[in-house]
Amino acid sequence: MKIHKSEDEGGCGVVGFASTIPVRGKHIFEPAIQMHNRGNGKGGGIAAVGLSYEDLGVSESLLKNDYLLQIALLDQEAQSDIDAEFITPLMDVDKSERIPTVSDYHAIEGLETKPPDVWRYFVRVKADVLDRFINETKLEDVDRRRAEDEFIYQNSFKINTKFYASLGDKRAFVLSQGRNMMILKIVGYAENIVRYYKLEDFRAHVWIAHQRYPTRGRVWHPGGAHPFMGMHEALVHNGDFANYHSVVEYLEQRGRHPLFLTDTEVSVLLFDLLSRKYNYPLEYIIEAMAPTTEFDFDMLPPKKQEIYHAIQTEHIHGSPDGPWFFIIARTEPYENYFQLIGITDTSMLRPQVFALVEGEEVQIGLIGSEKQAIDATLKSLSEEDKRFPSVADKYWNARGGSYTDGGAFMFSIDSDEKLVCTNKFGEVVKTPEGQTHCDFRKPVTPPPDSDRQRELIAAELKSPLTLFVFLRNGVTEWDWDTLRWTVSELTECAKDDEQTKTTVIRGLTLLNDRRYDTGTKKRSSVVQITKEALHRIFDDTPAIDAKHAGIYHLIGWSNKDSFRPADSAEAILIVDAAGFPPEGEECDARLIVKAYEMGWKRFIVYNAQGQRFCGSGLGSETTGVRIDIYDSSGDYLGSSMDGAELYIHGNGQDQLGQILGSGKLVVFGDVGQTFMYGAKGGEAYVLGNAAGRPLINAVGKPRVVINGTCLDYLAESFMAGDPLNGGGFVVLNGLEHDGNGKCIEQDTPYPGSNLFSLASGGAIYIRDPHHKLVEEQLNGGEFSILTAEDWTLILPYLEENERLFGISIADNLLVVNGDTKTPLDVYRKVKPLKNSVLVECGEGED
Amino acid sequence: MQTVKKAPSRFPNEISEIEVQRDLSKCINCGTCAKLCPFGVHERKTGYNRVSKPLSYRCIGTSCEDKPFYCVNHCPRGALSLGVSSEYRTIGDYRWTRDLIIGTWKQAETGIPLKGQRYEIGNSGGGFDRISFNFPDDEGRGERGDENIGQNAFLPSDDTGISTEIDLNKREGTKISIRVPFYGGGMSFGSISLSVMLAKAKAARAWGTFTCTGEGGYPEALKEYDDNVITQVATGLFGVMEDTIQRVKIVEFKYAQGAKPGLGGHLLGDKVTAEVARMREAISGSSLFSPFPFHSVYSVEDHKKHLDWIKELNPNAIVSVKVSTPTDVDMVAVGSYYAGANIIHLDGSYGGTGAAPDIAKKNIAMPIEYAIPKVHEFLKREGLRDTMTIIASGGIRTAHDALKAIALGADGVVIGTAELVALGCVRCGNCESGRGCPRGIATTDPELSEAVNVEWGAQRLINLYAAWRSEIVDVLKRFGMRSIKELVGRYDCLIENHEITQENDEETKL
Repeated sequence: MKIHKSEDEGGCGVVGFASTIPVRGKHIFEPAIQMHNRGNGKGGGIAAVGLSYEDLGVSESLLKNDYLLQIALLDQEAQSDIDAEFITPLMDVDKSERIPTVSDYHAIEGLETKPPDVWRYFVRVKADVLDRFINETKLEDVDRRRAEDEFIYQNSFKINTKFYASLGDKRAFVLSQGRNMMILKIVGYAENIVRYYKLEDFRAHVWIAHQRYPTRGRVWHPGGAHPFMGMHEALVHNGDFANYHSVVEYLEQRGRHPLFLTDTEVSVLLFDLLSRKYNYPLEYIIEAMAPTTEFDFDMLPPKKQEIYHAIQTEHIHGSPDGPWFFIIARTEPYENYFQLIGITDTSMLRPQVFALVEGEEVQIGLIGSEKQAIDATLKSLSEEDKRFPSVADKYWNARGGSYTDGGAFMFSIDSDEKLVCTNKFGEVVKTPEGQTHCDFRKPVTPPPDSDRQRELIAAELKSPLTLFVFLRNGVTEWDWDTLRWTVSELTECAKDDEQTKTTVIRGLTLLNDRRYDTGTKKRSSVVQITKEALHRIFDDTPAIDAKHAGIYHLIGWSNKDSFRPADSAEAILIVDAAGFPPEGEECDARLIVKAYEMGWKRFIVYNAQGQRFCGSGLGSETTGVRIDIYDSSGDYLGSSMDGAELYIHGNGQDQLGQILGSGKLVVFGDVGQTFMYGAKGGEAYVLGNAAGRPLINAVGKPRVVINGTCLDYLAESFMAGDPLNGGGFVVLNGLEHDGNGKCIEQDTPYPGSNLFSLASGGAIYIRDPHHKLVEEQLNGGEFSILTAEDWTLILPYLEENERLFGISIADNLLVVNGDTKTPLDVYRKVKPLKNSVLVECGEGED
Repeated sequence: MQTVKKAPSRFPNEISEIEVQRDLSKCINCGTCAKLCPFGVHERKTGYNRVSKPLSYRCIGTSCEDKPFYCVNHCPRGALSLGVSSEYRTIGDYRWTRDLIIGTWKQAETGIPLKGQRYEIGNSGGGFDRISFNFPDDEGRGERGDENIGQNAFLPSDDTGISTEIDLNKREGTKISIRVPFYGGGMSFGSISLSVMLAKAKAARAWGTFTCTGEGGYPEALKEYDDNVITQVATGLFGVMEDTIQRVKIVEFKYAQGAKPGLGGHLLGDKVTAEVARMREAISGSSLFSPFPFHSVYSVEDHKKHLDWIKELNPNAIVSVKVSTPTDVDMVAVGSYYAGANIIHLDGSYGGTGAAPDIAKKNIAMPIEYAIPKVHEFLKREGLRDTMTIIASGGIRTAHDALKAIALGADGVVIGTAELVALGCVRCGNCESGRGCPRGIATTDPELSEAVNVEWGAQRLINLYAAWRSEIVDVLKRFGMRSIKELVGRYDCLIENHEITQENDEETKL
């Protein structure tokens, strides 16, 4: 029978985290809300792994050993039928209950469809039933407990076939069956699961949430929502396979039959097949799903190539093709650990961010489709429990199907409640050693010499830079308390006069933006202290409707209507973005457009929580407009900007600077997918890395300095003229900052297989003193020697880069292994090949 | 306001079906033929000894036989004869038959619809060519005469009280309607010349409808037509700037083209002249490629974000989403609705100029006549049909094709190639080569593009639109409908016709 995919959907919002201390369900609530606009309220789901036996009212060993079967009843009558056929005669039920819910779903705002009643069973298979099963299925050689797993798995399949079968009646289905884990899903937004099933205080080590965007309209039951269950796994998915039918075919040939007909179900079946049937270690499972190809394959050690080649030969037809990103939460009952895994596809088509906190008392690993969801999780956690920081120690992206990290990271929590982060190859990801977090539970107390310190502060308020140097040195010299007290004093000074306020804001901003040695302190805590101080200063600013003569004016969601024209050219509008919707008529980006039309030219946006489009819509020729954004900025910032300047004080998200016309975009961190897609011009400076496909299809004269590297596909189809004649270029420095804030070279300036593919104009200037880049990475470009003319062209941009980020030309860029080199020794130019193929193969445009 | 004015071919010897042959060995230049012919086929210009070469395209052919002025019968030396012209034998293909091409030229010249099967359907053996109207009383065809070539004008229908207006936005926001159920498709500056773009815009303004920029930027000269221009945002984002989005009423996202789904736009180095390069902010002479997907859109929620961005730039704009017709096109349509789109534009596989690669043009995507009802039905089932406008395109050659698409469930159509044919395109299929078109249409060569004069081009299109509208009104009248909106999704008005095959055997017609 030809199986038709019945549920079509694109991407979605996904987030997950694993914590060494169990945390309450309310903390998956905020990130789920953050992802609202990645779903449409037609399907939401959550999974929890590593549960609390107290919250479930069972014994510790029961939770550990029993299968936790959760069955969603779409038809109340179904339960007795299921019990009679699939539970009572086959299993010892240690506990069964209807999961508590609020009494009336109407009471929950935004919940339009009644969530299913869910019955939870703690079960073991009866010994004689299991004996018979082992005998019949010839599983004698298999560990008895694993045979029991298989029995449960098959039993659930039978329940789903009989009571759900996607083409027939839909009466009930099994939500989850693994040990020490559970899945819940509804028609509605994911966070309403927490509300409806009263999970606010329900504790677990690992949580994942999914906001779904199904395009079929009248969804009445949650069968198609994520997560989908494996044996001991829950999987959520963001994306869409192009080869769904081929993967189904592959599974059918191996005896696995999809029942829910979505590509997410197929993904988890695939994972289960590879893990339980083929017994592959996780690395090989990931290789079978996201194969290593092209240049990345060539870079693998020969032994690995041999194994991967064999895996690909066997499993390539089952490998999902197209954009996808999986987050998997699972228990490993045999080795006793919980795990959170993120796997991205080989082509890196979906956005994904990983983050790690390695605290003294708590470690937490986070994965999200967008950084804003991670930020929201940490914010929610740290507001309740100060052991959790609001800023992670490390944020990064995975390179799908790569030789560098394999495109997958996993956070494992063992029985000692230690968290270890590893990549596909088992290499451990760590934060710098010998550094500690600030204990934010302690109150701030004045240091013994507080008067002297006050005098010092007053003396250093000369300029933002001197203040920054003072604080930077203080970070290594002072203890946490002195640092916190000093910064807090600064927020008081900022109240004195507008001049001081400006100095303090700028000085603290430098402390937030720059990379420097933090000594024995974790940078994340320094940033958290800085951010909290900036927030206090912004919060204390007089509201726009208040009478005062200063230059700073505060507007927020609550007083957004008390709008008025700017009273001077210097006036700065501080926008508290909290509460503004991320898009639409009411969003903060439109507020800024309206303010601009009333004469405002300087903006500070803080408390951003993923709001999009900031800097867009101002119109043409907006030179003189400057927007500074703090906190979790969203997607599409500065897109279509023409003349304005946008400073992002932290990591940027996806689609920044799309079709940028002119102006300046500065990011004090990393940027996400398709940075400056189709840009026409403008200057951009990125302190860290770019994710996939930066500068794709850019034309005209964009001029960009990226100090890190990018995942792949940099400047594909770049058409930016001749850089020496007014065209555009990208300078790629391939640097990073180590734990001591020192600027060092990355392993390779560009790890990807595709650099400058199909480009017909512009150039890449790449810092590659060790000539690590090879011809194979180019596809339509050629290496050429840097000329004096080239250096003259890029020098002013590197100088500006130095001013912005402190990355020195003389001390960092031109120094290789301690020796100063000439630009010619350090930089290589990649320019488009005069490729006859491009001219001959193409055809005219339609 | 549109006014139909005669706009004859810009070539002295336009290609025609009939070739009037004069045997110069027999002709004595008596001038009898020139005096007889009321259509000006024969001329004897003063000061010349000879009757000039016959202007065959003015001839009405064999239907002249019984007329008192039939030149062949009256030539004293029997020097004149009628034959099928050699050009006529060579032009056309199964979809765009020679008669459809010549018929479109005639309508663009006169503004009067042509009756007869050969001017209404092609010879592809499928698609709209296998669909006929199921008129209630089956009157019509025979008694109204099969053919009326040339100037023996069929009078335009009296259209009082019959509306051909459609709404492009059925959701909240700016209300936009167009007076005819069609608008001009996106062809970029670069693929066609500026004069052709301007002619399209002028005609659109005259008829209160729209034309689309395509992917090559928004030429300054189009500015005065802002209210009748659709800005296209396509995968290469060429020439798309905040300003071009802010100045228009409709923004069209081109995700795919039915003629070449899975492929992006491409413009060869040769056609990238300095002017084209300036508009797209690229450099002249280097080939320009659009990626096949939007790299910032890999899923429906990305798509929503993309639309939100456009609405952020221009909150008053309505948004059209142009997609090709994969098997799950119905899901795409619903997804677009939830993302906030106003128009779902289905681009079927029959369209495409010579620039679309054959392998794509002929082999991918669902035929439009399947896709339209699929989407129409699905939107109805989801309760969204009344809030979403369906526009179909991809091989809409005649008013009849447009009507069939509407009866299948579309609200209106977009026309592309038909407009180019109206401007004199012979469908030679060389759009991409060298500097482009021998007829000066799909070219950016400054000299070649002078072949099309804006005023003339606009008039040709105004006339074509007028002819189409008359035909639409006529068909509606025969169905007893007062408005084109009544025809939407009326499958009962159509029948599949297995009989229709065109002989196209020119000898039998003469």
